[in-house]
Amino acid sequence: MKKTLAAALALAVGVSIIGVGAGLAAGSADDMINARQAEMKLNMKAMKDLVAMLKGATPYDAAAVQAAAKAMADARTEGVAKDVWNASSQQGATVKSGAKPEIWTDASGFTAAWKDLDTAVAAIAATTDEASFKAAFPQVGAACKGCHEKFRAAEQ
Amino acid sequence: MTRRAKLVASLAILAVVGLAVLWGMSEPHPLTAAEIPAHQPDLANGKELFNAAGCLSCHKPGPDLKNVDASLPAGGTAFKSPVGTFYPPNLTPDPETGIGKWTDLEFVNAVQRGISPEGENLIPAFPYTSYARMKTSDVLDIKAYLDSLPPVVAPEKEAQIPAPWLMRKGVGIWKHLGFDAAQWQPDPSQPADWNRGAYIANGAGHCNECHTPRNLFMAFDWAKQFQGGPHPGGEGRVPSLRDLIGRGKYADAADLATAFQNGEMMGYEHMSSGGMGEVQTNLSKLAESDVQALANYISSLK
Repeated sequence: MKKTLAAALALAVGVSIIGVGAGLAAGSADDMINARQAEMKLNMKAMKDLVAMLKGATPYDAAAVQAAAKAMADARTEGVAKDVWNASSQQGATVKSGAKPEIWTDASGFTAAWKDLDTAVAAIAATTDEASFKAAFPQVGAACKGCHEKFRAAEQ
Repeated sequence: MTRRAKLVASLAILAVVGLAVLWGMSEPHPLTAAEIPAHQPDLANGKELFNAAGCLSCHKPGPDLKNVDASLPAGGTAFKSPVGTFYPPNLTPDPETGIGKWTDLEFVNAVQRGISPEGENLIPAFPYTSYARMKTSDVLDIKAYLDSLPPVVAPEKEAQIPAPWLMRKGVGIWKHLGFDAAQWQPDPSQPADWNRGAYIANGAGHCNECHTPRNLFMAFDWAKQFQGGPHPGGEGRVPSLRDLIGRGKYADAADLATAFQNGEMMGYEHMSSGGMGEVQTNLSKLAESDVQALANYISSLK
């Protein structure tokens, strides 16, 4: 009897730990939206630095290009780890979001759009001089545009 | 006749007269051949206005036309509007499924009056409400450019809208309230460049269609011109175009022109969503002088 009770208790504790764990991984809708908006802000900041170099507003600096590419790649890794695009973020949010339902109805298109960005950011990171940076940059912008066109709503 | 019978009879007559008036109001008012100017087509100008008008955004080849050049306006891509889903038709010169048999008059009536060659009212999801502002000669140049494209066989798909016949009649009545067919008039107090930008924005560019809110009659609310409002496709809000510089959205008119030309390729992240991405793609194809004129006009809006 004691043994059964202990086993049941252990199971209950185990289940609740797993439950809490899963809950933490997915987070609340607001947490997910805040996390992805933070990710986008990091991307925006990195893009600003890159565009400044592209336009010649700031001088080309290989290290700065690397840093911006790393910032974007890290932001992305964190977003994936936090599962910020979980479909459950569609319900119960109080934070405004421009995420369109197509993100989940066209999941393969959305995944492909992210892959475009990953590829473009990796290509930027691999550049070593100004010419190769300028040649590789438009792919990053095109990835931003390609995804925002389909999956982000107009101004909220 | 009893009083009651008299009342019923007069009501019936009123109803019939009312219906007749409405029926008359629902009739389209096409231009006549005499109103179409003699014109020597300019293909380059036609292509420029085809891009300014954004024809391809809606008339791009649909998903079942995978082997068709994506730059050809073969139509068939779903266009969602508040009243239902449309499949904008084939604008290539195929005689059977495209506009190969259309006369200049039929084309101008469709683009500037919203009347099909069959004499039906077109639903203003097709922005003839703005295209009416264009010079007829520019519209004829667009037709000449379309006629120069390779023909694609792509039959029209039927729109998914409730009660199409009734709706087209209703549009005829609505045109009396919400459709001003007057052409754009330049403002003599402004420089030529500003007027060119205003002409593109208000005519071919049809910026008002999304950026100007509508009144109770679904007509443009000119007092609130370019103030933005609810997105017509139901995704969020369309931003205001007023005082873009003052509000810090762009550094100056040159910055806005760069944004039009490059969009998010240069990190201008408000140039992609809500349909603006396709608009920006079209603007990127315009002559430098037209982009600059458009930017000068838009950034002058207070």
